[in-house]
Amino acid sequence: MDCLGNCTHGAIRIGNRLKSRTASPARPVSDSRRQFLAIGGAMALAATAEAQKKVDGGLAEIEDKKAPRRATRIVPPGAVSVRNFARHCTGCQLCVSECPNDVLRPSAGLLTLMQPEMSYERGYCRPECTRCSAVCPTGAILPLDRYEKSAVHIGHAVWVRANCIPLTDGVECGNCARHCPADAIQMVPSDPANESSPKIPVVNDERCIGCGACENLCPSRPFSAIYVDGFEVHHEG
Amino acid sequence: MTTRNKQSGISRRSFLKKFGLAGASVMGLAACSPRDGDDSTLDDAEAETPTGMMTYRTTPTSGDKVSLLGFGMMRLPSVSGRSAREGADEQIDQEEVNRLVDYALDHGVNYFDTSPAYCKGQSEHATGIALSRHPRDKYFIATKLSNFSPESQTREASIAMYRNSLRELQTDHIDYMLLHGVGMGSDGMAEYGARYVDNGILDFLVNERQAGRIRNLGFSYHGDIKVFDYLLSQHDKYHWDFVQIQLNYLDWQHAKEINPRNTDAKYLYEELDKRGIPAVIMEPLLGGRLAKVPDPIVAKLKQREPQQSVASWAFRFAGTWPRVLTVLSGMTKMDHLQDNLRTYSPLKPLSDDELKFLADTADQMLRFETIPCNDCKYCMPCPYGIDIPANLLHYNKCINEGNVIYNPEATDYSKARRVYLIGLDRSVPKLRQASHCIGCGQCSPHCPQKIDIPATLHRIDRFVESLKQTP
Repeated sequence: MDCLGNCTHGAIRIGNRLKSRTASPARPVSDSRRQFLAIGGAMALAATAEAQKKVDGGLAEIEDKKAPRRATRIVPPGAVSVRNFARHCTGCQLCVSECPNDVLRPSAGLLTLMQPEMSYERGYCRPECTRCSAVCPTGAILPLDRYEKSAVHIGHAVWVRANCIPLTDGVECGNCARHCPADAIQMVPSDPANESSPKIPVVNDERCIGCGACENLCPSRPFSAIYVDGFEVHHEG
Repeated sequence: MTTRNKQSGISRRSFLKKFGLAGASVMGLAACSPRDGDDSTLDDAEAETPTGMMTYRTTPTSGDKVSLLGFGMMRLPSVSGRSAREGADEQIDQEEVNRLVDYALDHGVNYFDTSPAYCKGQSEHATGIALSRHPRDKYFIATKLSNFSPESQTREASIAMYRNSLRELQTDHIDYMLLHGVGMGSDGMAEYGARYVDNGILDFLVNERQAGRIRNLGFSYHGDIKVFDYLLSQHDKYHWDFVQIQLNYLDWQHAKEINPRNTDAKYLYEELDKRGIPAVIMEPLLGGRLAKVPDPIVAKLKQREPQQSVASWAFRFAGTWPRVLTVLSGMTKMDHLQDNLRTYSPLKPLSDDELKFLADTADQMLRFETIPCNDCKYCMPCPYGIDIPANLLHYNKCINEGNVIYNPEATDYSKARRVYLIGLDRSVPKLRQASHCIGCGQCSPHCPQKIDIPATLHRIDRFVESLKQTP
């Protein structure tokens, strides 16, 4: 505890960590409130950036993404189905530590405790990567090569109109369509009668593989305007 | 304040140098040893920065004797040692700025160029602090009316900006006042009108010149050539005392090849020369791109002048033209300053042969397809958090070092791929990389080099994506 006494600026102290955490309670929020906050946040972000553009240099702050509430959880390609995965996985964390894209993390759910699940706030399931399937010792994630992996549909993308940047900020975007490795997303005018209206994404569910590139690279924060819902049973082709 | 050593008589360094030389020659004479040519520490490049040898040019209207090297205050050092325009909370390192300014003044630099917009708006303040520690008649201050954002374009807001410059710079007069970056924006003429004519600001500045609070009035130009030609056609009315243009050996005759909307510096210079208007030069190094050149070009320049820096060629080029008043360099580090001082104390103008050599070099350089980003950061901050210049500069750096390879079959592909991807994650945080550019296009109108920023970022992103997918 030498540092405490030696710091002449009072910058180091001992306190209750839990106390400071409860200051901002992580209460569950209703969908409408969420959307309201998301839109407000996006608009505030754009507004501050606009106001700052009097001088050059500097970086806009980037808000962390938050995970959407997914109807079905996403499990990695090779898992075959949520049930197969749940039956075989021992929660050994090998795949979690191997994932280079920060996608896999241990679940906190009661029935799936410590079993990995996927989410795309920090990265997405990159097309060339098959590392989790290569290390799984239990058959929860069966080995597949990169071409098989890109053919497996593990979920599908869902669009959230209220968060979509062309509609909220009035700027061109299309980042989801640009990065979709399966070419499942097209940009179309939001008003069918007006060719020059802001363009919004439409998802071809037949092509979408659920990799999460769209969700991860969506500029809307903290909640993306497009997110992935998992499939109970994966399918190919 | 510290007392600075006036170089009276002989300094310790030159004393040692002379003794070393004498010693070496004595030894050489006495022993004729085979190693007597070994005294490499005394090469020109290592020699002390000369004092009192600076080249000066005189303005025709005010008779100012201006140093050929001008100090650009756009890239001031920050506490972390990088340029103060980088991160969100990088503060200017005032102590280092003071040291650089003191050193520059001691070695004959007397022109300091700033703007209310530079370094996230902190540059004028820092310049004011550093310069106010010296007698006001020892230096010239240049600043600009940087009313880029629409809300600062009202008459009141623009005049307030001008008065604030006087306050920040701690002075009652500005030696060189510029309309900032005319010709920029999607419609150069309209923007010029909105910023300086409709609100009567140009007339206001002309009156301030009459009152003596502005000693020289001019403009800095980027972009739309119509605005440049128009302003020169108004020379009889406004009597521009100087004009600031971008000039370097790449832009001299190749501006169009870099970007079809740019204009050759040769044309700009000759138009000014015709009218006897002194030219202040910006971007002599293209934001460092003419210092960080591709390896084969380094070899070529160094082969011809082994003792001179790569950058010195660009500075000698800019200084060679007689109508050039001063050449601005945004010096972040002491070694930049010292190298530039050596180049201009005094200037050795380029011979015709050397000019031709540089023209050939420029031709050769264009074959490397670097992006013409000068890291001026006018595009920043990106509202979606992209670090635009960092992405472009990493790409350029890898081109220069031969690490941009598209073909996976090429022999060096996997090494180059590693260098590119690892370097990218090191120099640009993931969330600020090109993959997050949504293409909203809010940056492009601010770019003085007229780069189509979204298209370029998307092109780089495609390249990065191909690297990631093809190990």
